[in-house]
Amino acid sequence: MNRISAAVDRFGRAVLDNIEEMGRIFILFISVLMWMVRPPLKLRLIFKQMEFVGVKSIFVVVLTGTFTGMVMALQGYYGFRMFNAESLVGSTVALGMTRELGPVLTALMVTARAGSAMAAELGTMRVTEQIDALSVMATNPVKHLIVPRIIAGVIMLPALTIVSDFMGILGGYFVGVPILNINAGAFIKNITKMVDLGDIYNGLIKAAFFGLILSLVGCYKGFNTTGGAEGVGKATTEAVVLASVSILVSDYFLTAIMF
Amino acid sequence: MIKLVDVHKSFGRQKVLGGINLDIEDGKTTVIIGGSGGGKSVLLKHIIGLLRPDSGQVIVDGVDIASLNDRDLNEIRKKFGMLFQEAALFDSMNVMENVAFPLRAHTKKKDAEIRQTVAEMLKAVGLPGVENKMPSELSGGMRKRVGLARAIALHPQIVLFDEPTTGLDPVMTEAINELIIETQKSFELTCVVISHDVQSIFKVGHRIAMLYEGKIVEYGTSEEIRGSSNPVLRQFLSGSLEGPISVM
Amino acid sequence: MSSISTEAKVGLFVLVALIILGYMSFRVGEKGFGLKKGYPVHVVFDNATGLEKDASVQIAGVEVGRVEDISLKDGKALVTLRIVPNVRLEKDVQAKIKAYGILGDKYVDIVPGTLGEAYIAVGGDIVRTEQQADIDKLLSELGTIAGDVMEVTASLKNSMGGAKGEENIRAIIDNTRAITEDLARIVRQNDAKLNLMVDNLSEASSEMRRTFATLNSIVEKIDSGEGTIGQLVENRDAFDNLNQTLVSLKGITEKINRGEGSIGKLVNDEDTVDNLNSSLKSIGKSMDGIDRYVSKSEQFKTFLSYRGEYLFDSGDGKGYIDLTIRPKEDKFYVLGLVTNPNGRLTVTDTTPAGGATARTETWERDELLFTAQIGKRFKDIALRGGVFESTGGVGVDYFALDDRLQLTFEVFDFGSDRNAHLKTYAEYRFLKHIYLSAGWDDFISNEGGDSPFVGFSIKFEDEDLKYLLGSVPMPN
Ligand SMILES: Nc1ncnc2c1ncn2[C@@H]1O[C@H](COP(=O)(O)OP(=O)(O)O)[C@@H](O)[C@H]1O
Ligand SMILES: [Mg+2]
Repeated sequence: MNRISAAVDRFGRAVLDNIEEMGRIFILFISVLMWMVRPPLKLRLIFKQMEFVGVKSIFVVVLTGTFTGMVMALQGYYGFRMFNAESLVGSTVALGMTRELGPVLTALMVTARAGSAMAAELGTMRVTEQIDALSVMATNPVKHLIVPRIIAGVIMLPALTIVSDFMGILGGYFVGVPILNINAGAFIKNITKMVDLGDIYNGLIKAAFFGLILSLVGCYKGFNTTGGAEGVGKATTEAVVLASVSILVSDYFLTAIMF
Repeated sequence: MIKLVDVHKSFGRQKVLGGINLDIEDGKTTVIIGGSGGGKSVLLKHIIGLLRPDSGQVIVDGVDIASLNDRDLNEIRKKFGMLFQEAALFDSMNVMENVAFPLRAHTKKKDAEIRQTVAEMLKAVGLPGVENKMPSELSGGMRKRVGLARAIALHPQIVLFDEPTTGLDPVMTEAINELIIETQKSFELTCVVISHDVQSIFKVGHRIAMLYEGKIVEYGTSEEIRGSSNPVLRQFLSGSLEGPISVM
Repeated sequence: MSSISTEAKVGLFVLVALIILGYMSFRVGEKGFGLKKGYPVHVVFDNATGLEKDASVQIAGVEVGRVEDISLKDGKALVTLRIVPNVRLEKDVQAKIKAYGILGDKYVDIVPGTLGEAYIAVGGDIVRTEQQADIDKLLSELGTIAGDVMEVTASLKNSMGGAKGEENIRAIIDNTRAITEDLARIVRQNDAKLNLMVDNLSEASSEMRRTFATLNSIVEKIDSGEGTIGQLVENRDAFDNLNQTLVSLKGITEKINRGEGSIGKLVNDEDTVDNLNSSLKSIGKSMDGIDRYVSKSEQFKTFLSYRGEYLFDSGDGKGYIDLTIRPKEDKFYVLGLVTNPNGRLTVTDTTPAGGATARTETWERDELLFTAQIGKRFKDIALRGGVFESTGGVGVDYFALDDRLQLTFEVFDFGSDRNAHLKTYAEYRFLKHIYLSAGWDDFISNEGGDSPFVGFSIKFEDEDLKYLLGSVPMPN
């Protein structure tokens, strides 16, 4: 009896903790919005973060995008071959990349690369009192540390997603046309026929949203780190897990809303 | 003029400050002593508004900073400089950028001017020419001195020192103490220094406060403290295991 | 620090991303490009199932516009098309809804009208439409067909069933019997006609000779090229010999012509014809044997074939004329003649009393050899035995590719004074009656008779023979 009530108690507390955390993240988001519109914006910091989140993620995004497109083409080919519809491989890859895989995979890769780094960086700054030092020097840490990261995430994720989409389609093309001998004209024709501007742009909106999630979660976890080096490690892990899960869950809802 | 009135602070169930009452005199150096984990840093963070009291007031120049919003608090903070326990230098920036940080944030000085000021500050703390080093390339003492340079770069009225000499060798300890005394004198600063080091306490402090179990148990001039018969103080100063302070 | 600033890197990256986005948007948005400028045309379909806005409008597979709007009008689908400005539609164009494949998207296909007709005005109507066979329609049509089939079977049942039907069938079979009897009589009285037919064949042979002459000239060209083939056929005698063969072949047919041949005798054999006739009769007698009759008559087949072989090593030609009778699918008889310019070498040792043994070698040249074999076929393999080139022997044939390809191996002429005659070849049908063959004749010969050969043959079935006979003027 006691054990059951303890379990219920623990479960309830976990739910409450999660809800509380969501609330805190939301509050952080509101304060980010407020600090974002308060000049002056530190362009130099934003660019630095854009370089870190965007430019330095290009390689990994190109790699994952290309191979995702390639494997989609391969898998799609085996399916479509049964209906003699091999030329649909191109449009499948293109639709899959622009609508889902481009944004989601890019977001997951950037979460792993940059979201975790944000949590670790801010966490270290927190436990070594650098964030306090900022406050003491009358500089708002949210404005100085978090706003540039959020802006970078929201802007760079769509940019990376475009690259990922494009590379995925290119990868699909290189598997489909020279290797699997799908007619190049039909391959491309079907892409242009089946893919709408809306597919691309909605994918990019998703990406921007994912960029917000991953940078917000990374910053939140880092910003609220306690407990030294161990705490930094924990914050980093939690940031990656929470951001990834949030991205995948919100992807469902975004898809349901958009398409 | 800084005044703490019945300041209480708990973290969860852990009660850290249990009714602090303390007046800090302008233009003097006040040293706060107390055991490790006793809440000295917490007390210091209340003075600069990094932590807000659960109850009580922290009055700086007649204003209760506990009730201020962020913007007004920032205005108050421009009067302060703070040297953190581990210096808290921004490790993504070099020494130059660290010391220049408050200047860039709060003055409209030109870059050349800022460079000049930074050089002066570094010279004042005895580290000329380290502008291009990264914090990770510096020793603990050097870091603290750079932290001090950063803390006094804006020529604040009040400077808070959180254990400036802990973990340093005796010579370095002496150098830092001299630095604190000199800067205090030359800029007529109000200083609040947290320290364990008995030698430093009497050298640096005009006033000394003893924090014990969340309260200020003794407060007075160095002479008064030296002559105090408070058993807690006596045990702390003598470093004895016998007494009310239990080590376990 | 690298030489490129952070701002430049970020700017460059964003620029590249925007260029890619622009490119992709352009490619994807391209489909609507230029179509907005077109003019509208209306068309009413009974049913526009599956047709969607923005669907393609095509003439001969070329996109000329888009479906702009689909709405309901008097219980029918009013479809507004937007046609690109430089395409004009004649008044009598026809519009239909088609699909890309069974599952594909629907589009509007326009069949061009008559050239010179007036053009449909902007906002005008396409009057002629056709409902495309979609799956539903297809299925309903299939249903109708099935109904038709049922009707046919029903009427068949009416005409076949009952006493009247029986009578009808009896009449049919009587007719058939009469025809067969006529055929038998024709064959019996047809010596002359058959000869004529063989004449035709001989003409075919001379035709062949001409072909070989052409081939010869080709080969001469090869010859002058000094290639391997050239060297192989260098010996001009080969062609002379071949010509000789064909001449002699002509001689044979002439012999047949004069009534000396064996084919004439064969087809005049009363028994064969009687057998044939009686079997047909007996079948005709049984009323319920209609199925059997049909299948039997299909099974019973006669083949007449000519095969010519050219032996590379000796440069000789060999000709075969075979009549194959196949009363059942798995059983056949082969009767035939072989011309062998090589002849047969017979060695006779004569030992006069007390004297040295004298050996006489006689070449029987231009001899006609006989073929008479019985065969049985087991699926893809046929075994033959009997007379091969006037000697005893056996053979096996393997059939592949629906009998288009035949692989043959024969052993005959088991004389004690020489190795047996072994022959193997492959024959491939590449036209209806024409076969090409290649193989190796007498390949373990110890008389130097071994030679690779190529050949070609002509085979006719009885159906074709009837045609040939029919084409021959038939004195009654
Ligand atoms: N932000 C915080 N959250 C929770 N506990 C804290 C926090 N800051 C300090 N504490 C706790 O308060 C106590 C006093 O800490 P501190 O003032 O740093 O001690 P010290 O006197 O050595 O400087 C310690 O037990 C510490 O764990
Ligand atoms: Mg401390």
